Amino acid sequence: MLEYTEKIREISQKLLKDSKVDMVIGFRKGTVPMMNEPTFIRNANEVGQLIWDSNCGINLANYLTGRKEKIGIVAKGCDSRNIVVHLVENKVNRDNLHIIGVPCKGMIDRRKIGVIYGEEILNVVEDGEKIVVEGDGDEKVYDKKDVLQENCAICIHRNPVIYDELVADLVEEQKDVDRYEDVRKIESMPPDEKWAYFEGLLKNCIRCYACRNACPLCYCPTCFVDESRPQWVGKSIDPVDTRTFHFLRAYHCAGRCTDCGACERVCPVGINVRAFTKKLEKDVKELYDWEIGLDPNVRPPLDVYKTQDPEDFIK
Amino acid sequence: MSDWEPKIVSFLCNWCSYGAADLAGVSRMEYPPNIRVIRIPCAGRMSPKFFLAALREGADGVWVSG
Amino acid sequence: MEHMGIEPGRLQFSWISSAESTKFVKVVKEVTETIKSLGPRKHFIKTEAKVA
Repeated sequence: MLEYTEKIREISQKLLKDSKVDMVIGFRKGTVPMMNEPTFIRNANEVGQLIWDSNCGINLANYLTGRKEKIGIVAKGCDSRNIVVHLVENKVNRDNLHIIGVPCKGMIDRRKIGVIYGEEILNVVEDGEKIVVEGDGDEKVYDKKDVLQENCAICIHRNPVIYDELVADLVEEQKDVDRYEDVRKIESMPPDEKWAYFEGLLKNCIRCYACRNACPLCYCPTCFVDESRPQWVGKSIDPVDTRTFHFLRAYHCAGRCTDCGACERVCPVGINVRAFTKKLEKDVKELYDWEIGLDPNVRPPLDVYKTQDPEDFIK
Repeated sequence: MSDWEPKIVSFLCNWCSYGAADLAGVSRMEYPPNIRVIRIPCAGRMSPKFFLAALREGADGVWVSG
Repeated sequence: MEHMGIEPGRLQFSWISSAESTKFVKVVKEVTETIKSLGPRKHFIKTEAKVA
C-alpha cells in the first residue's frame, strides 16, 4: 500500500503545482486506528498528509456534489462508480474532475477486527495481505481476506471505471461471486419472520443519520426527514418512524446504490444498513439487467420509459 | 372480530381511476365501501411517502390506481 | 415492502381508464377481498401519540 500512497502524493503534487486543480480530495490518517478521514488538500506542500491503506472505506464522491471548482479526486472502484452517478445526475461536471484511480483490493472492517481482537486497539499496520494489530493485548496478525468489509468481499468492480490516471496496475476482478446470498435468505422468510428480522436489525438505531450523511446519493437540499410540513416521518426513535426512515432512504437509492458500504461503515451502532439497499439493487439487476455507475453516457432504467419495462405488478 | 372491515386507502389518478370512480357513481354501480379515496393529480405524483404515511396511520391496505 | 415483512397484497397497483367504470368496480372488489383475507394489519402502525 505504500507505493499507492507515494504515487497519490506524487500525482497530487504535480496537479496542484501546475494549477490543474484547485484541490485534491483524498484520505489522511485519522486520530483513531482504522479510521482514515477525508481531507481536502489545496496547497502543494500539504500533499504529505495524503495516504492510502485498507481503511479508506468512506466514499469520497460524497464531497463532489454541486462543486464548481476543479477537483482532483482519489477514487477506488466504488467511488468512481458514484462519480459516474453524479455525472449522470448532472451533479458535477466531468471537465472539472481529475480522477486519480486506485485499483482496490477491499477495505477492512474495523468492527470485525475489534471483535476478534477483543481489547483496545492502539495501532494497526498493514503488511501485504496481513494485518498486524497492536493494542492492550498481545500483538496479533490476521489475514486481510478474513476481515474485509462485507461489501468488499463480494465486490465485482474493484477497479475504477473512469479515471484520468492510475496509481498502479489494474487488479484482477473477483469472479463467480454470489452477491445476493443474504438477500435471498431474507426473501425466503415468511412475512412475520421478515418483520422480526428487520425489527431486530433496527432496534439499536439512534437516528443519527450518519448513513444518510455518508451516502454520496443523499444530496437532496431538504431531506424528507427534515421536512416538517407535512411531516412524513416522526423525529422520535419510535420503531415505526425508524423503519420509515430506513425504508424511504433505501427507496431513494433504488437503481443508484453502488453498494460502496459507506452507510454501514459509518453506522455508530453497527446496523447492517445494506440489508435495505441490497434488495433494491438485486431487483434492479433482475428486472432491468442494470448495474449503476458503469457508463456515464447511458441513462439509468428508472429514468427512462421503455415499452418492454416490466409491469406485471399492475392489474 | 367477525364484523371487521378493512380500511383501504386508495390513491386515484384524477384523469383515470378517479374518473372511473365518478362514472361508477353516476351509473349507480355498487362496490364495497371499504375504500377511502384520495385524489392525486396523476399517478406520477405517487410517492412511497404517501403509502407509508397511510399504513402508519393504520390503514389495512393501500391501492394505487392510474 | 414485501421484503420488509408487510404481507404481499397490502399494496396494490392497477390501471383503469376513466371510461372503465365496470373494471373499477371489479378491481375495488378484488382489492377489498384480498385485504379482507389478510386480516387486520399487525405491524407498522404508529401507536405513540402524534406530536404537533
